[in-house]
Amino acid sequence: MALPPESRLFAEQFAIELDSPLLGAAGELTAYAATDRRAGAPDLMAIAVPHRIPARSRALQLLEGPQPGLLGPLGHGVGPAPNDEAAYYVVTQRPPGPSLAETLRPWSETALIELVLRPVAHVLERLQAIGVTHRGIRLNNVFQARDGHPVILGQAWATPPAMLQPALYEPPYSAMCLPAGRGEGTIADDVYALGALLVVLSLGQVPAVASDDTAMLRRKIEVGSFHAIAGDSRLPPAIADLARGMLAEDPDHRPTPALLLDPSAARGRRVAARPPRRAQRPFHLAGMSVWDTRTLAFAMAMQPEQGLQAMVSGTVTQWLRRGLGDAGMGSRLDEMMRHRVGDGAAERGADAFAVMRMVVMLDPLAPLCWRGIALWPDGLGAALAAAIGVDSHAMARLDEIVATEAIASWAMLRQDHCDYGLLRMEARQHRALVQIRGPAGGLLRLAYTLCPLLPCGSPLVAARSPVGAADMPPALERAAKTVDIKTPPVDAHIAAFLAARSERRLEAETNGLVGNGDENGVALARLRLLAQLQLRYYQKPLPALCAWVGSHCQPLIDSWQNRPRRAALETKLKDLTAAGFLPPIVGLFEDAAARAEDALGAQQAALAVAQIDVELAQIAAAGEERAMTARRIGQEIAAGAGLLALASVLAMTAFG
Amino acid sequence: MARAQRQPKRHSLVWLQGLACGALAALVPSLALMVGILLGPGLVTLVLDQEPTKPVARAVLLCGVAAIVDPIRQLWSAGHGLEASLALAGDLRVVGAAWSAAAAGWLLAELAPVVVRVVLEAGGRARAVQLRAARARLAEQWGLPAGEG
Repeated sequence: MALPPESRLFAEQFAIELDSPLLGAAGELTAYAATDRRAGAPDLMAIAVPHRIPARSRALQLLEGPQPGLLGPLGHGVGPAPNDEAAYYVVTQRPPGPSLAETLRPWSETALIELVLRPVAHVLERLQAIGVTHRGIRLNNVFQARDGHPVILGQAWATPPAMLQPALYEPPYSAMCLPAGRGEGTIADDVYALGALLVVLSLGQVPAVASDDTAMLRRKIEVGSFHAIAGDSRLPPAIADLARGMLAEDPDHRPTPALLLDPSAARGRRVAARPPRRAQRPFHLAGMSVWDTRTLAFAMAMQPEQGLQAMVSGTVTQWLRRGLGDAGMGSRLDEMMRHRVGDGAAERGADAFAVMRMVVMLDPLAPLCWRGIALWPDGLGAALAAAIGVDSHAMARLDEIVATEAIASWAMLRQDHCDYGLLRMEARQHRALVQIRGPAGGLLRLAYTLCPLLPCGSPLVAARSPVGAADMPPALERAAKTVDIKTPPVDAHIAAFLAARSERRLEAETNGLVGNGDENGVALARLRLLAQLQLRYYQKPLPALCAWVGSHCQPLIDSWQNRPRRAALETKLKDLTAAGFLPPIVGLFEDAAARAEDALGAQQAALAVAQIDVELAQIAAAGEERAMTARRIGQEIAAGAGLLALASVLAMTAFG
Repeated sequence: MARAQRQPKRHSLVWLQGLACGALAALVPSLALMVGILLGPGLVTLVLDQEPTKPVARAVLLCGVAAIVDPIRQLWSAGHGLEASLALAGDLRVVGAAWSAAAAGWLLAELAPVVVRVVLEAGGRARAVQLRAARARLAEQWGLPAGEG
């Protein structure tokens, strides 16, 4: 299998043994045994990144080399996959033993602290120093070599942060998000997951409610995370105290990894958090019993239409004032609703905006909630990538979020909890990218821009998993050998991918794909794009791609009006496609002087033909005139002949 | 305006021709008789030809006149008497030659336009063929729509 150049180094370094899959070594992901040829390390594993899911580029960039207590990334790139395809892999060390899920049993307090809490806190402290989160601490992704050995965190780099995390291990504000849209989060989210893991290991079993993520999430919202996970079970006092702090709803109230290194200090830490105001009687909304503003925000986020209805009818504000006794909040929501009415129907998604604002006002810690979906702004790219072609419902909502710059509005309402300026600038940039007309813009472009390691999802090249612009020419060459030649060589995915990956170098070419219905313009722009791609990234012959592209050049040939020139172009095109280089083919169709000459010639030919037609019409119409002329001339000839005869006779008579 | 647009008045020369004929008949009746007999077809044609320029009569008369020059000379040589005039007018060869010439003139006046028309039509057709060939060449070379034939 020919690999793209950027992946060649990866392929040269790591040997992936496709016939040795490692079950359970990477959680739910497929992993194969791998070896590092250069370093001579045999016990590695290559985790296949799922199709259309981006690997975590930031973590892969920042984490280099082996990490103690963690299966850190050792390399990543495109490698061989079954069925002679290619896939994107993240290579890590192999887990030293089975996952904790395979050997689940009640752990003692000492074992939990010495073998789980401290080692993981060490890792988290190091990750925090680097500026990376793990977001993959769960039962089947934590490994132990043998009993009595400290646990090792599994890989969390082959998928977006926390994408595979069950609701059990995620804070509610993360669990309620789209799986791919949970964002990088903070180390406090890892502390939360560790707290959940401690409870599960202490209990020796996974709570029954955790089998249903929705039920788990709702339970966490209603009774709080600790009670939702631990239930009525009795935990060792130290573990219970630690877990209660680690499972705090507000990330700022959770202990830091550094504090967890000293469990007694962490246990004794008490955050004086003001308990949320709780109503005497619940308010029922969307099948949920609402006791406080947090549960109200959650219910409105999950069922925005019912929430808005209750808000418009005044039920919510009434309950806030009378049931909860929070008149201030009721007034603020009323004020916001009046603004919504003022905005009118002209503002796109006014209702969605209203619900989003209400959720933020009710619970400033909540993520961005938009018409039933939730996400953290830095998870937008991965959420888009996961939804493209799969989840049109989520795509439509993500499109609205970008088009309305909802992230900026959301951030403005909770400036104490985020960098408003940065998020506003990013929202504007996202919108600008989406508004680019043609295939080089839109949500695809945004997804590829936000996810640098997202392989191109075009069905033409998906089997080759091209991740960089340089990977595309060989992927297309390979596709050209098998694809139906009538398929255009550049589809929306490829255009958006190249526009995102080429960093403005191919911007003019990708923008040309807009076309405005001009088939020739599109064909030429496509040709120019691929030619520039070859020129800049892959200066080797691509005969199959050239033949494929050449077969789509007929409109360009047909745009020439001079038939002999067309024939000459076709002959030349055949020669050039055989050579395998696209730039000369572009030169064939971009000869401005020849184009002008052709246009002038066509104009002159049309004029000449018009003149000929006029003359032919005149000839056809002049039959009567010719008859009259013939009659006149004939009569003159007859008279002339008679006169000649007379003159001859007179001359003969006179002279003899 | 109406006066300005009126056609200029054409003066008829018929009275002058009648005067000449009357003078000829009065002064040289023998000659007039012979000429009248020998140019009979031409005079008939002159009456029958309805065209303003009398093209057929002109050709017939010119040919007829060419044929009676010699009989006139003979009449004049014979003293231009009435007997001589009647003798020449009764001579079948003289009358036949004069009338044959008139017939030739008529035939020429009838055939010449046909021949000229054939020539003109042939020229027009040749030009059309040439133009169509040029048009087809241009249409093929530049992808223009073909002509109707």
